[in-house]
Amino acid sequence: MNARMREGNRVSAAADLIAAIARGDRGAFERFYDAHAALAFGLIRRILRDPEAAKEVLQEVFWQVWQDAPSYDPSRGSPEAWLVMRAKTRAIDRLRSIRRREQTFVAPVDERVAAATTTRADDPGLAAEDRGLAQGALEQLPGPQRRAIELAFLEGLTQSEIAAKLGEPLGTVKTRIRLGLERLRAAFKVDDA
Amino acid sequence: MSRDELDELAAGYAVGALDAEDRARFETLLRGDEAARRALRRFEETLVRVAAERPEPPPAEVKAALMARIPASPRVGNGARAVALRPRRSVWTVVLAGAMAAGVAAIAVGLAVSSRYEQRLEALGGEARTLKAQLDRQASVLAILRDPATQMVALGGQSPSPGAHARMLWHEKAGGLLVAAGLPAPPPGKAYQLWAIAGTSAPVSAGVFTVDPKGTGSLRVPPLPGVSRVDVFAVTLEPEGGAPAPTGAMYLAGKAA
Repeated sequence: MNARMREGNRVSAAADLIAAIARGDRGAFERFYDAHAALAFGLIRRILRDPEAAKEVLQEVFWQVWQDAPSYDPSRGSPEAWLVMRAKTRAIDRLRSIRRREQTFVAPVDERVAAATTTRADDPGLAAEDRGLAQGALEQLPGPQRRAIELAFLEGLTQSEIAAKLGEPLGTVKTRIRLGLERLRAAFKVDDA
Repeated sequence: MSRDELDELAAGYAVGALDAEDRARFETLLRGDEAARRALRRFEETLVRVAAERPEPPPAEVKAALMARIPASPRVGNGARAVALRPRRSVWTVVLAGAMAAGVAAIAVGLAVSSRYEQRLEALGGEARTLKAQLDRQASVLAILRDPATQMVALGGQSPSPGAHARMLWHEKAGGLLVAAGLPAPPPGKAYQLWAIAGTSAPVSAGVFTVDPKGTGSLRVPPLPGVSRVDVFAVTLEPEGGAPAPTGAMYLAGKAA
């Protein structure tokens, strides 16, 4: 059995689980969780430094899986992509709401929030991203492409926010994100589905 | 639209970074254009691989919480089939039994779901009220900060606690906020009380507060009726519920400009 067939089987097994979840099969949900929770949680933790917030988001994401399984459409992408995109969106939403809260003037009024923003550098629960662990494909991209993708995918900035932050033209940022993803796609040998 | 342009939109959409206008444009494309859907799928699958490089097993309590949330019985509509499969019954009995079973199941599930949702709604209502109160409090502090008529008064530690210090934001009409640090924990039954003093008239109580184990505390002060100008703010140690006039030692004091 070649790699492509194995890949296909894996996806269809996950798709079958989603179909079973859609029928209300609790056991299928449990199997889907066991097989995919680490994938989703890894990404959520790269986006959110706060381990408590990350756990809450993971729970929300899988609760959504349970509720939205009937609307999963295999022609739109694999169950993994369906899950990962949800995890990303939820985690970024949470990150943005934390940022909004931190930007409001609260320091003397709510010292817990103020304290939470200052401990980031020495927080033992720091995201793997900051601990400088394993070099993945993302880390092997040329610096500017990597930075643009990280600011978007892991920090939730829009393209114009990235352009402003880096002092680059918007068009350059758009191109970098595209070229970076193209390069990653080639590295991972993702088929032109 | 060129291929690069389409890919640029798809890539930006996949990483969630399109600005509102581009996002609306691409979502329109997604509805009708197979090439757009294909481009997006490609980039999304790529991001799955990026995520898959760093899996992290979540703590067990997340799964436990989820499984507790998911009903043990199957979804509505599944019960009817089992009944309908029983052999040698007239079609009408089967249909009727199926419909009744489905009805009973629907009612049971409906009740369970509605009670769960009621609890959830109640909890959400509580959360919303807490957040609203928090927001109101912050908005009122912000309004005070923005007003040029607001004064900032520094309060210095007095003889019982020379290391203590505090800041008082004060606006005659809007009230203010006291933030204190370095105060000793009050003995049982005692609390700190803030006083507003104008000229030679009697001090007016501005509220009672306590401090956390680190010695910091804050007090939101409402507008004080009858007090227009304040010359001095002072903090004394008083019985827990506050006193009508200062009786205890003075811990902090500061002159308004």
